[in-house]
Amino acid sequence: MRVLEDVKVLELTGTLSGAYCAKLLADQGAPTIKVEPPGMGDPARHEPPFIGEGPHSDRSSLFLAFNTNKRGISLDITQEEGRRLLLRLIQDVDVLVESHPPGYLDGLGLDYHALREVNPRLILTSLTYFGRTGPYRDFKGSDLVAQATGGFLHGVTGSADRPPMGTVLEQMEITAARNGVIAIMAALLQQRDTGEGQHIDVSTMEAAVSTPSGLIHPYSFTGRSPRRGGSDGNVMDGMHLATKDGEVTLTTAGTGGRPMEAWAEFLEEPRLTEPQFASRSGRTENWQELYDLVAPKLAQWNNLDLMEASMSRGLVIGLVQSPQQVVESPHLAERGAFVEMAHLETGALKYPGPGFLMDGVNSMEGGHPAPHLGEHNHQVYCEELGLSSGELGVLHAAKVI
Amino acid sequence: MSATGILEGIRVLTLEQVHALPWGTSFLADFGAQVIRVESVDHMQDRRSGPFPDGAAGEEWWNEGGNLAYFGTRNKESLCLETVHPMGKDVFLKLVKNCDVVTDNFRPGTMRRLGFDHESLVKVNPQIISLSCTAYGHTGPWRRAGSRARTVDAACGLSYLTGYEGGPSARASSNYMDHSVGNNVAYALLLAIYHRRKTGKGMRIDMSMQETGVSAIGPAILEAQRGISRPRLGCAHIWKAPHNVYPCEGNDRWIAIAVSSDEEWRSLREAMGEPGWAADPRFDTALGRQQNRGDLDKLLGQWTATQEAQTLVLHFQQYGVAAGAALRAEELVCNDHLQQRGYLQEFHNEHAPWVGPRVYAGRPFRIPQIPLEIRRLASLGEHNAQILRELAGLSDSEIESLAGDGIISSRPKPTEPAP
Repeated sequence: MRVLEDVKVLELTGTLSGAYCAKLLADQGAPTIKVEPPGMGDPARHEPPFIGEGPHSDRSSLFLAFNTNKRGISLDITQEEGRRLLLRLIQDVDVLVESHPPGYLDGLGLDYHALREVNPRLILTSLTYFGRTGPYRDFKGSDLVAQATGGFLHGVTGSADRPPMGTVLEQMEITAARNGVIAIMAALLQQRDTGEGQHIDVSTMEAAVSTPSGLIHPYSFTGRSPRRGGSDGNVMDGMHLATKDGEVTLTTAGTGGRPMEAWAEFLEEPRLTEPQFASRSGRTENWQELYDLVAPKLAQWNNLDLMEASMSRGLVIGLVQSPQQVVESPHLAERGAFVEMAHLETGALKYPGPGFLMDGVNSMEGGHPAPHLGEHNHQVYCEELGLSSGELGVLHAAKVI
Repeated sequence: MSATGILEGIRVLTLEQVHALPWGTSFLADFGAQVIRVESVDHMQDRRSGPFPDGAAGEEWWNEGGNLAYFGTRNKESLCLETVHPMGKDVFLKLVKNCDVVTDNFRPGTMRRLGFDHESLVKVNPQIISLSCTAYGHTGPWRRAGSRARTVDAACGLSYLTGYEGGPSARASSNYMDHSVGNNVAYALLLAIYHRRKTGKGMRIDMSMQETGVSAIGPAILEAQRGISRPRLGCAHIWKAPHNVYPCEGNDRWIAIAVSSDEEWRSLREAMGEPGWAADPRFDTALGRQQNRGDLDKLLGQWTATQEAQTLVLHFQQYGVAAGAALRAEELVCNDHLQQRGYLQEFHNEHAPWVGPRVYAGRPFRIPQIPLEIRRLASLGEHNAQILRELAGLSDSEIESLAGDGIISSRPKPTEPAP
């Protein structure tokens, strides 16, 4: 099912939030063109690690993962001729995704009003670290800086007695992108009704504030601020505990309100029902004693057996799986969660789907991997915009493409 | 067009609890869909979850909690209906006939037992969109397992990659994955609604929390297939340095600094007033800074330790250095930037006026012509009569008799203890 096959998307390369936002649309079948600056292309092409031997602009794992199902063209929008071509492309698209600092496109004469004149149906989506307005708008950002200013760093991950510890792999940029596609779908439904476009302003800092949900209104209700360290000494609800071949995190969920009885029975350790462990605070106070009872029992289990057995009892656990174990997971294989796609430079690799199946289908089925820099220049400029090969040659020599 | 016009006429029946699904459907309610949250007096945990004023639940605690306004029944309607009862089931299926979307986050199998699985719904309404949000999806050997947000962090691979440098893995968040999945729920439902407007066809969406998590660590998934493993680095970065969190003046105050080029490093040196230690030639190049990251972080941390975090951020930003203070909730609620952007919303819950106005996080995007806000929250069973009359075609006497039989309610059971 290619739900967005009639929604044309253009992505102007900027930060990862923009690339991921456009990918989410492309993975649902939206014909998506990624516009990269000639020469180096998207900076993400040059970020390690690389799949295979040594650095190569087509083999950055970050670039490969964030750019599936897009066609790629090169275009220098800082040149007059480049802008002219961009405007021709924009005439025909529904959504333009960009993630440059506020003011950058305006400085090139490509502000929303100028683009709207060319295409009043255009849904311009700007993803920036701090949003397009407000005193921080011109601040320089990054995923880590967004985690910091968004309250995630101080309050969520890490131990109370150690420095804040962030989350990895650009989760705030990804969250901003997920927010972006919600806004885009709303604007698109409206555009299909009214023919009107929009300029959407997505902030990565705000994505971080909205995300843990334990920040603003809980503080407003209770005057208490969340502090990191929720898993410190939390044997039953947060710590990672070793098994024979990995790690697991337990929960008190699924125990019908009698967590210690249920776990005592499951782990065959009757001392877990002793009164000092009955309450949450008791478990935290006596966590070392509790740990010494639980740890040797868990160490007798293999991860997959533990999952199977706890599931049968309705207990809720989480296996701490490595990415390797995730890729090799029999469960995910049976669900068709990964789709294998062959790329000229990397060979075949399994890519994760969108997280949901529609009528049993993973939307990545039949998809294609990330483009080489300028891979679709001829197709887009000549076959679709009607430029001649000669004109394309001139643009190439002038480094416009 | 206002926000509420976009999904006008779309009706969503949602059997939802806890976090991910109610978060997802709240976006549809913001956009004007009639989202009917079907509740049960036997499952009051979300209404018990607060937060309550000063942490103390009041007399009508079930209509007071802040989570209700933030996402639980935000812009939604509440129908408190016992669907496990045959009469309740009958009413539910009558509603399905007049609805567009049915969502649930029970474990797989529960909807079938209730008679509400996709196949049964299609018999009543051939165009129905259904979405079921579960830990591991409706197929595969782990389908029966339940989850919490952090067990999903664990199962998807994110927690394995998270931890202090050289240390063990650590939970990646408290409930990040609830929001991530909730956002994915909203996206999937909007896709399905778009599809139905085009084709007239419904669909069945099988949302997996684990797979949503996997989709967020794509690079590591590709790397794992070629034997590349990512080290745990805390806030440090695999190639950028300095890139970390550094202590500032005061107790537990920190600044995040992210330098990604030699030019930015030179800007940082300049912003610090060219201290002697920073002139060390080992730090001149990206490779040198990466290889001597430990020393660099230590020296930079000694320098920042005497500075006030927010003042230092303003100073660094003037030099073009990406930096941000690790802000706390008490700073965010009065943050000038967020206020000027109209991000924060003060909302007054008319069902519990004694709670008074409270501040909420807004939506992390602006669509100028589509303003979004918390307009109202639904009290328990607030819309029972209206929904049953208008959508199930029941008469007033039928509704009264359902209330008399305890099939619909607007108060918790007398035996329900206060939170």
